[in-house]
Amino acid sequence: MEHLSPWVIFFAAIFTGNILLTYFLGMCSFLSVSKQIKTAVGLGLAVTFVLTVTSALNYFIYYQILKPFHIDYIRYIVFIGVIAATVQLLEMFIERYSEPLYINLGIFLPLITVNCAILGVSLFMIIRKYNFIQSVLFGAGSGLGWFLAILAMAGIRERMKEDKVPSALQGPGITLIIAGIMAMAFIGFSGIVQIQ
Amino acid sequence: MNILITALIVSGINALLALLLVIAERFLANYGTCKITINEKEKLDVEGGRSLLASLKEEKIFLPSACGGRGTCAYCKCQISDGAGPVLPTEEALLTAEEIQDQTRLACQVKVKSNLDISIPEELFNIKEFKAKVDRLQDLTYDIKLLRLQLLQPSQINFISGQYVQLESQPYEKVKESVSRAYSIASSNSKKTHIDLMIRLVPEGICTTWVHNYLKEGDELIFTGPMGDFRIHDGVGEIIMVAGGSGMAPMVSLLHELTRNQSKRKITYFFGAVARRDLFYLDEMKDFKRSLSNFTFIPALSKPLPEDNWKGVGGLITVPLENYMKEIKADDAQIYICGSPGLINACGQVLKKHDVTEDRIYFDPFA
Amino acid sequence: MKQTPKEKKLFENFLPGKLTKEGFLGDDTRHIHDIIQADAKVLVQYQMKKETIARELKKLIHIGKQGLESEVETDDYAILVQWDRGMIACPFGEPGLHPKLIAKVKDKGSGVTIRYSQLCVHLVQHHGFFGGKGSAFRVDPEIVCPMLQRNLSSTQEK
Repeated sequence: MEHLSPWVIFFAAIFTGNILLTYFLGMCSFLSVSKQIKTAVGLGLAVTFVLTVTSALNYFIYYQILKPFHIDYIRYIVFIGVIAATVQLLEMFIERYSEPLYINLGIFLPLITVNCAILGVSLFMIIRKYNFIQSVLFGAGSGLGWFLAILAMAGIRERMKEDKVPSALQGPGITLIIAGIMAMAFIGFSGIVQIQ
Repeated sequence: MNILITALIVSGINALLALLLVIAERFLANYGTCKITINEKEKLDVEGGRSLLASLKEEKIFLPSACGGRGTCAYCKCQISDGAGPVLPTEEALLTAEEIQDQTRLACQVKVKSNLDISIPEELFNIKEFKAKVDRLQDLTYDIKLLRLQLLQPSQINFISGQYVQLESQPYEKVKESVSRAYSIASSNSKKTHIDLMIRLVPEGICTTWVHNYLKEGDELIFTGPMGDFRIHDGVGEIIMVAGGSGMAPMVSLLHELTRNQSKRKITYFFGAVARRDLFYLDEMKDFKRSLSNFTFIPALSKPLPEDNWKGVGGLITVPLENYMKEIKADDAQIYICGSPGLINACGQVLKKHDVTEDRIYFDPFA
Repeated sequence: MKQTPKEKKLFENFLPGKLTKEGFLGDDTRHIHDIIQADAKVLVQYQMKKETIARELKKLIHIGKQGLESEVETDDYAILVQWDRGMIACPFGEPGLHPKLIAKVKDKGSGVTIRYSQLCVHLVQHHGFFGGKGSAFRVDPEIVCPMLQRNLSSTQEK
């Protein structure tokens, strides 16, 4: 995949191959934290940071350590370890410098570790054989794409706060329906650039 | 061999990550020593990382707290002009917009991360933690006990008649932690080495059950105080007291002070109860009648039992109070009430009917 | 059942010695959510809403308060309310404190007596929590629903 410009990959990760709306990865925090724009922004930035850092670190570890020693099959465990450490670091940082955000995010900050989008991006970059720059921009782009999706969802849900939703659909029900409609809207981007 | 290499490499990577996190924690979770400046004069050096409430308590400055720092009672309000950081969602739930604008924060929620500039009421500096020994524990009625404490460390207390202390219970049976509960001081403030408390057994109450069923004479305990602003106010007008049950505690303290000052004011104490078994301290009230120039104790029973043979005033305490208010000229009378908000409300209605303004009604509420 | 650390910490509030001496669960070994669900089923059977029950219980406390700790009698009930000093927090961890009012209500018609606190009214109204079986202030829907319904309908007949 060396002929693809990293910026094309970056752009595609945000719009045409949106990790959340096209690949449906990372849904649980997306559904739970999209009630308020403030918190959604906080989580979106956190996920973007984790994705960028872990794609860089995992790329380095995979190609410099795992592959040379022929133990690339262990990448699932190692990648998760790196993700967990990165999230812990981020937690400490947020707790120190923005306690309101730390409290607002609650359990969802440590839950970033098991967000399948994060592991997914690291595995995708291996499968698609991206080089370092491509991997980092893929990670950053996926993060921004996830950020965009959760921001849009939060905006819609805040706008809908006063509207009457049938009681059976309130909460996760209507959110999933909205996510589906957003996904359909994003299909509209798919003609712009085709990565995979 | 392959497995060994795998294990080594994976462990190596994880060890490196763990090391990174330990180093990060050193820098990020360590707040170092922070300086807290109180009312622009007192300066304290505390270890950062804990709540302001806990840090102040370590330095023997006790902010009031009913919930033990859980963030539910809002008693620990103080003003922080610098260093508090953004308002937390847990604080927003309990503070009004004006308070937040005024820089009022909840001490139990604000973490000490850097130097702080705070303001607290001056009287809080007088609050100390006392170690005391149970000198006497006796029944006053079937559900009220008198607890007399001898002060050990510090050995003397300075308080204003009418103030209360926060008693710390100790673990017993299924109760694994201490709780802190407020009780008014029932003794004279001229006696500085001992204090009396009147403690009524509350159904399912953690502290009162401990006092009634587990505490023994000779046991040691801890209390904090003195606190509260219920007190005698100067004046020449007559004094009317209304309090039943354990509400008598601050009144006894007030009566001791009035006796010591040889007050010439007319004092009438309305004691509301249900039946004869709720009456106590009758001899003490007789003593006050002797030592004060103009004191009358009026107990009223709302539902006396036939065997009580009650010949005194009957009905709810509001009845004799109302009758009394009808007879007197209450222009400069002061009314002191200690009891539940229900009692305060009921009395308040009676007093309003007789044109007693709110500035002359003082109460020690149960909240 | 999987619980977040926050939920686990809240659950501790229901145990003896944290907020009340005996706690809110009595000898019940079920999880709080299971208790709420089981009681909710009983409410459906009697076709009563938790808000209605809470409203009626609150009304009875209000009537009893007037007695200043002596018994108050209405057409249907004999109510004794004790009001003690201090406030108690909700075990579910919400901000706000509740006064320590305890009501003993005897239904004159059936002779049944129930005992509950002001906090119970809040727990029923906002959380659908009636207390664990065997706890000191459990408001058993099996007892309370028929009692309230009996007296509600009799006041309507009048």
